Amino acid sequence: MVNNMNTKGKANPTVRLQYKKGDLIIKQGDYGISIYKIIRGKVIIFNESENKEIHLGTLGPGNLIGEMRFLSDSTEVCSLSARAVENSELEVWHPATLAKEYELMPPVLKYMINQTLKRLIRMNKIISKLSIGKEQKKEQIKHVEPVTSKRSYYRKLLDQDCFYRPCNSSTNISLSGKVKDLSLNGLGLVADMNRSVNISYKPGKKFHFEMTLPNGKELVFIAQIVSVNKEKYPGSLFLGMAFVEMTAAVKKKLGFYLMP
Amino acid sequence: MSIDRLVYGYLAKEENYPDGANIIKEGGTGNWVYIILKGQAEVKKNTSRGVVTIETLKQGEIFGEMLFLQAAKRTRSASIIAKGPVQLGVLDSQQLLDDYASVSPQLKSLINSLITKLEEATNKAVTMISESKK
Repeated sequence: MVNNMNTKGKANPTVRLQYKKGDLIIKQGDYGISIYKIIRGKVIIFNESENKEIHLGTLGPGNLIGEMRFLSDSTEVCSLSARAVENSELEVWHPATLAKEYELMPPVLKYMINQTLKRLIRMNKIISKLSIGKEQKKEQIKHVEPVTSKRSYYRKLLDQDCFYRPCNSSTNISLSGKVKDLSLNGLGLVADMNRSVNISYKPGKKFHFEMTLPNGKELVFIAQIVSVNKEKYPGSLFLGMAFVEMTAAVKKKLGFYLMP
Repeated sequence: MSIDRLVYGYLAKEENYPDGANIIKEGGTGNWVYIILKGQAEVKKNTSRGVVTIETLKQGEIFGEMLFLQAAKRTRSASIIAKGPVQLGVLDSQQLLDDYASVSPQLKSLINSLITKLEEATNKAVTMISESKK
């Protein structure tokens, strides 16, 4: 930064500062009272929240930075940051003399300027409120759409016989059940309660499955119990299960079947 | 300071408007500055999606100052419509101009910057309000 005193305006001496591309001029959260006039270059105004920079505007030659703060007589920290995005030259006004002059202005003019400032603050509030609303709408769409599409696309209801056995037992135990729904992640099973008295149906238990899809394709896989529901089908257990082992070929068959 | 004392010596005349009267027309000319002595008025702006109400001005609020304070501006940036019967004070432009002439260039450019920012912010807000209505 190169200082260069400019004493042309006797009452309000100014200093010119040079900023390189990328230099921070004002940092959000700092105390600062100066007013800057952009002589040359380009400056962006932004807000930092959660390590993200929210771009608020781009200023060029002739534009001022810090005048709202000056007029609002604020003793709070800077609410925004400013950064040079090109090599820039800024004139810095020390507010002391300006503040004196402002104080001496006719009350009507002061009142008028004060109202303009308040109106600007109101407008900025409307803008940020509507921007947040827009963001939320976007978020809602983001969250809702995949869920609905998943339901209509990925989960298919059916009523298909299957044979299964606990993974830790010998191959000659075979139980039958009904697959009530299928998705790419798992299935809903109504377990055979007559023959499976000795079988433990607890979340985490793994079973080996064999079933035929309504389109004739054979599926073999291993699935694990995620949830147990006694109410859904009286007299039987309804098991929510997730696939834990499935070959690529089976996955492909399942994928084809699940296509709408 | 009360409004009466504030505008003492600046009031050129008083005007009364009935409900719904168009006090200032967007795009129109004239550099009168008004103060609301009694009642309310709405600030409205035309957009491609219809008229948008920006805000309601109340007793003691000044309007018309943007065109007055910014020499480069030529036309009114918004319409002002009476909301119920309104009593307005019209400020003496000549006296305001004399006052403003004594303001230093630095302070003038500061005021100018404020007006420019208000205009930009208002336009942005109006666009967003009209978009949020669709």
